[in-house]
Amino acid sequence: MSAPGKLSNLAAVFFSLLLSGVACFAQPTVAPTAEPAGPARGENVSDYNIVDSFETGYRFRTFGGSFDQYRSTVNYGDGIRLLASFLTINSRDGHGKWFDNLSLTTRGLGNDPYESATLRIEKNRLYRYDLNWRLNDYFNPGLRTGGQQGQHLLDTEYTTQDNDLTLFPDSNVQFFLGYSRGNQNGPALSTIQLFDSRGNEFPIFENVRRLRNEYRIGNELRVSGIRFTWMHGWEDFKEDSSYLSGPNRGNDPGSLTALNSFRRTEPYHGTSPYWRGALFTEHKRFALNGRMTYTSGSRAFALDETAFGTSRFGLAAARQVLTEGTARRPVMAGNLTLSLFPGSKLTIVNQTTVNNIRIDGNSVFAEFDNATQTINYTAFEFLGIRTIANETDLNFQASRWLGLYGGYQYSDRQIRSNEASASPGGSFAQPSEQTNILHEGRFGVRLKPIKPLTILLDSSIGRANRPLSPIAERNYQVLGARVQYKIKSFMATASTRENYNSNSVALSSFASYARAHSVNGTWTPRDWFALDAGYSKLHLNTAGGLNYFALGQSITGQQSIYISNLHVGTLTAHFDVKKRADVFVGYSHTQDTGDGRGSLLGPGFGSSLPALEAAQTFPVKFLSPMARLSVRITGKIRWNAGYQYYGYNELFYNGEDFRAHTGYTSLLWSF
Amino acid sequence: MGAGCEARALLPSFACIVVKMPGLARVVGLFVCIAAPLLSQAGSPFVGSDVCRTCHPDVWANFYKNPHYKSIASGKEPAERTGCESCHGPGQAHVQARGGKATIVAFSELAPAKVLDNCLRCHAEKISRANIRRSSHTLSDVVCTNCHSIHKSPVPKFLLGKRQIDLCYGCHNDVRSQFSMPFKHRVNEGFMVCTDCHNPHGAFASTWRMAARPRMVDQAAANEEPCLRCHSEKRGPFLYEHEPVRVDGCETCHYPHGSTNSRLLRRPVVFTMCLECHNGSDSFGRQNSGVLTITATHNLADPRYQNCTTCHVRVHGSNSDPLFLR
Repeated sequence: MSAPGKLSNLAAVFFSLLLSGVACFAQPTVAPTAEPAGPARGENVSDYNIVDSFETGYRFRTFGGSFDQYRSTVNYGDGIRLLASFLTINSRDGHGKWFDNLSLTTRGLGNDPYESATLRIEKNRLYRYDLNWRLNDYFNPGLRTGGQQGQHLLDTEYTTQDNDLTLFPDSNVQFFLGYSRGNQNGPALSTIQLFDSRGNEFPIFENVRRLRNEYRIGNELRVSGIRFTWMHGWEDFKEDSSYLSGPNRGNDPGSLTALNSFRRTEPYHGTSPYWRGALFTEHKRFALNGRMTYTSGSRAFALDETAFGTSRFGLAAARQVLTEGTARRPVMAGNLTLSLFPGSKLTIVNQTTVNNIRIDGNSVFAEFDNATQTINYTAFEFLGIRTIANETDLNFQASRWLGLYGGYQYSDRQIRSNEASASPGGSFAQPSEQTNILHEGRFGVRLKPIKPLTILLDSSIGRANRPLSPIAERNYQVLGARVQYKIKSFMATASTRENYNSNSVALSSFASYARAHSVNGTWTPRDWFALDAGYSKLHLNTAGGLNYFALGQSITGQQSIYISNLHVGTLTAHFDVKKRADVFVGYSHTQDTGDGRGSLLGPGFGSSLPALEAAQTFPVKFLSPMARLSVRITGKIRWNAGYQYYGYNELFYNGEDFRAHTGYTSLLWSF
Repeated sequence: MGAGCEARALLPSFACIVVKMPGLARVVGLFVCIAAPLLSQAGSPFVGSDVCRTCHPDVWANFYKNPHYKSIASGKEPAERTGCESCHGPGQAHVQARGGKATIVAFSELAPAKVLDNCLRCHAEKISRANIRRSSHTLSDVVCTNCHSIHKSPVPKFLLGKRQIDLCYGCHNDVRSQFSMPFKHRVNEGFMVCTDCHNPHGAFASTWRMAARPRMVDQAAANEEPCLRCHSEKRGPFLYEHEPVRVDGCETCHYPHGSTNSRLLRRPVVFTMCLECHNGSDSFGRQNSGVLTITATHNLADPRYQNCTTCHVRVHGSNSDPLFLR
């Protein structure tokens, strides 16, 4: 076949993909309206220019199937919303009286599950203030995918805010002040296992109350071409969640173990004061930067738990557990980076990293059990992780169309631990130490044979000895390629990446093979029409050794297999009609076809345990078509409406399936 | 003040008049407009931003909203760090040639490395950009102008060429796919942005795993994984740490972007994930003698033992129980 013929075939494949609608790329949520309300606006008031818009409207939702899963996945509800707003005020001469730039954006205010507001106020060379506030109404029905009946429900609201004030920005002496806060509250369910290891499990109510505050202050100086930055921060975090339960038969009604009442308070209060210092200088032939941080985290905790009920022998049982103590985690990290520019075409960067974490502490543990004697003992555990790494990257631009880069990294990680305890009856200590070494090499090529075309090839290979866990990286290689063709009205990108990891020793022969292939394209033939499409296939294939007990037998030599074949994408089209109406349509499709089996139990390899065999794959489908219309009423007002459907379907289970229709109508004012 | 400076000060108002002139008068006016700065700047290749606006009124019209305008408003910066010429270089040759990309620093014509060098002359010194030379973006020729649009930015902060999510998705289509999954961090919904966890300008070496990868993931203030900025209850320090959490990080069990599994887990059911590590195989774990296996009391044929976290509720670490039971 001739080259043009091949090209035309490729083009046909590509455009058929674009138009097929089978697989495309992600799309935004149906509201707020993404389209601008017209050309750049703004009104001059005094010495300021003001641009403002806000979109307010009504959201609606209907659904069928599992409402829990809907809340976990989508969670939009009914009601009036300030869907989005946008305000900027700029001084026209850069000499505003109080500020030169103010920008405020909001999204979802009213009662959306995801709300945010960002604010920046800036006076040139005097100050800059940034606020970022967010709220997430989080719901999780528990670990219920794969047909499992999990019981760890969460229905919490998480709010977070970051405030940063910079004094004298852009000058040689700057000052920083900052405050951040995170707050999570709401009801949840947890579980407790009582009264001994052969007892029963009980769901318990949890009232989640978590709070995090961070304060920081810093300064930046520039002297003789060297910039020095320091920052000191205090991060306090605490939780005083409480747990309660009344009479409960537990997960196993056949068990004699039952609960009459349960109460637990488990407060902790931690703090992580930190120091951070950094130096930076750059000259014609070299640049140098270094960073050193030290954090002395600690956490004081207590636990008071009381449970009354019946033991597995049918006898009255009572248990009280008291724990209190302190855990500490000092962390030191440092980096030194030297960049050399021996010529205009070559850059050499070397970075040395040291990271040292020590985790230790002490506790007093006391357990009172009416069936056993009271035991008092102290427990102590130490975990230390020290990593030293050095890496060098070379980046060489051989010509305008050819660039090369390569790198090598050496990492040395030492893990020390000491599991120890002491009690009136004796003491126990099990110290250990191990060292892991990693050698990793990287190589990449950049090609630009013609101006619109970019080709990137990259690879890395790593060899580690003695990783901590059987699923960690030991012998791995990564291969990647990316091709992009970009002209004014069209851009197409194709990429592929393959990750192989083999971590094979005697019993465990864990290996994973992950591939990600994707294509996407944007075509804007006219200023009133745009088409956007993409498709990704994410493949994962892993096998790991197993060792477990079933029916009193020790099972070895079997494997945990997991195969996932995910196809994801969307197709979106955007066009306007005579500059009066904007229409946006899209379709998003996510589907894991699994390993191709037609029933829950597969071909019978890997493991003989049905539950393990059923967990080897998880076919699921999640799709979401949408449409949005925006009509210009006047130059400053638009009417918007949108609709989005969500469908979730697990192939082998149906308890969590749902379908939902969501939409909105709104007015957008802008001036 | 010399005569040249006076002539230069008169130029803006004159230039405005010139563009409104008809015919021959306009030609003469433009000649004067071009000649004046050359005469006034004898010995200096810089002409000042007021000259640039004569031919680029569209760029100038909204430039007062641009953060770079503060160099003009200041009036105290040297010519090579003021306004248009701070990025595009001295404009004298460009004016003499009556335009053209060959006579000025035109970013559309620059090689990526040159774009980077140009911007870093002023923007290198922030700690957040300290690692830009070793970042994956730089090594892939993704430089400042791939994401930032200095003159046509539609977003109010950071002069981004598009919304951040669209910029990142433009190249990272596989990540876009992950955020389309049923369980994901709420990036498409606007609650989060990519830079909550990533530093697109290059991050310091990670303090988890073997410090080799990932290269673009930012760290929390205390050098932790960025996950712990929000999930502070999992940060510890715990008296009994679950070592993989601290040593290899959250990705040991979770996909950070999105998953078809609840709680972003790597497996649809928990116990398979636990069993893949807790299999007792040699040379793993803290004592190099294998990660603890489940005991004979755990009959995995019984469904009650197929959900480990029902009993081991504190899998991220515990202050009360080495087996994470409370």
